[in-house]
Amino acid sequence: MNIDTLSGLLQLIPVQRAIIALAIAGGAFPIVGVWIIGLNIVPVRFAMMHVALLGIALGMLLQYEPTVVGLVLCGITGVALAPLAKRPAGLSGPMGLVMTMAIAAALLVLSLSGVNANGAFELLWGSILATRTLDVVILAAVATIIIIVYIWKKRDLALLLYDREVALCSGIAVEQLTMLLMFVVAVAIGAAVHLTGALLVDSVTILPAIAARNLGRSLQHMVWWAVGIGIIGNLLGFGLTLALNQPPGPLLVITVGLITLATFLRKRS
Amino acid sequence: MTHAAPLTISNLVCRFGTTRVVDEVSIEIAPGEHVAIIGSNGSGKTTLLRAILGLHPIYAGQITVDHVHAQRAIDWRQRQQRIAWMPQRQATGQFPLLVHELLASSRNPAVAQHFATQLEVGTFNQRPLHALSGGQLQRVFLARALGSIAGGAGLLLADEPTAALDFGGQAAVASVIAAQQVTVLVVTHDRTMASHCTRVIEMANGRAREVPS
Repeated sequence: MNIDTLSGLLQLIPVQRAIIALAIAGGAFPIVGVWIIGLNIVPVRFAMMHVALLGIALGMLLQYEPTVVGLVLCGITGVALAPLAKRPAGLSGPMGLVMTMAIAAALLVLSLSGVNANGAFELLWGSILATRTLDVVILAAVATIIIIVYIWKKRDLALLLYDREVALCSGIAVEQLTMLLMFVVAVAIGAAVHLTGALLVDSVTILPAIAARNLGRSLQHMVWWAVGIGIIGNLLGFGLTLALNQPPGPLLVITVGLITLATFLRKRS
Repeated sequence: MTHAAPLTISNLVCRFGTTRVVDEVSIEIAPGEHVAIIGSNGSGKTTLLRAILGLHPIYAGQITVDHVHAQRAIDWRQRQQRIAWMPQRQATGQFPLLVHELLASSRNPAVAQHFATQLEVGTFNQRPLHALSGGQLQRVFLARALGSIAGGAGLLLADEPTAALDFGGQAAVASVIAAQQVTVLVVTHDRTMASHCTRVIEMANGRAREVPS
């Protein structure tokens, strides 16, 4: 592809929206990834993808905006799961249960309502190039909430993610903070799944956080690394998408994945 | 409220499943008293400390600190403000946290930093906790606990505070703890540490008995 063609692509509104969406998501959603790693709740994204699908199905059935219903249901589920975080076994079991129940309920709702299941799945597996202005606004709003929560609770978060009991014995309201985190994590994943597609959720959340875990010496260092890798990796991946004329999802994940892999090699050395 | 906190444990029972790991334990500790709890592994010492902190559920009996039996979340949070805790070394996390961030979570970070220097870990501020040796980590947690005492905590709970230290370190930590003008309850296998305490209680099979001095 020559420069003129690339320049022409960059003039397209969907491409410009995609770049803005990726910059916003890459700049804030990796913070959620760091929380997910710290809370050891990596399966949460699968659980929330299925909850989002249930929300979308309910939205279609009740004729409310499916995206909004999906986000609300994700938020409620995140809050409902939070009290279970204090169990020694953690949240993996309950999240597996949520995932299974949500997909079953979603299929049932779709069947009962006679709604085309493919329509719901299309809404769930969004595409970065199909991003609407409203989607970018929602993404920016969620990103703002993530950044505010991080700045507001930075010190408490550092202790909670280090050790729940140390945080508790430091007088931190651990249950409320966990609930807040679970709410934001759930909504962020619900938003990211719909806006960028299921595959892309990892490239803006978990992968930059895993890389940052290898590079950062503290929560703050990790957040800076994760955000840097999130922005650079995703924009680089999107540039490759345009240059190679290939689908964005796989190239974005592979680009950020390779950066993450490089951090493992650096850690080993 | 006096600075040193009275601690009363009455007929306390804590269980793991159906096993009673703390079984009808009653201990009364006056403000400013220093008490050592000794006993073999699995005798219920750490569970007792964790129950005082609210980290292990109480099956029966009650615990009061400052004559207050914590029932609501706000009571527990107030209790935690009155307790300086030095956890067992192995019990702490692996997520990156810098030494100065942990010291900053003390109720008096400046005093915590002062004690960190005195305990020879003051130069490790920018190190992550997981990069410290066991002995260094214990001294950092002790410095943090001493900062909390300066900030108003009246009860020091220390779980094997000298377990990972060499002889010199054990004596230094034992004397620093002994110098505290607050109530101290320390779980230990270390005779030097126990010898600094005014009373020694032995736990076996979840039961507690006073060791005659």
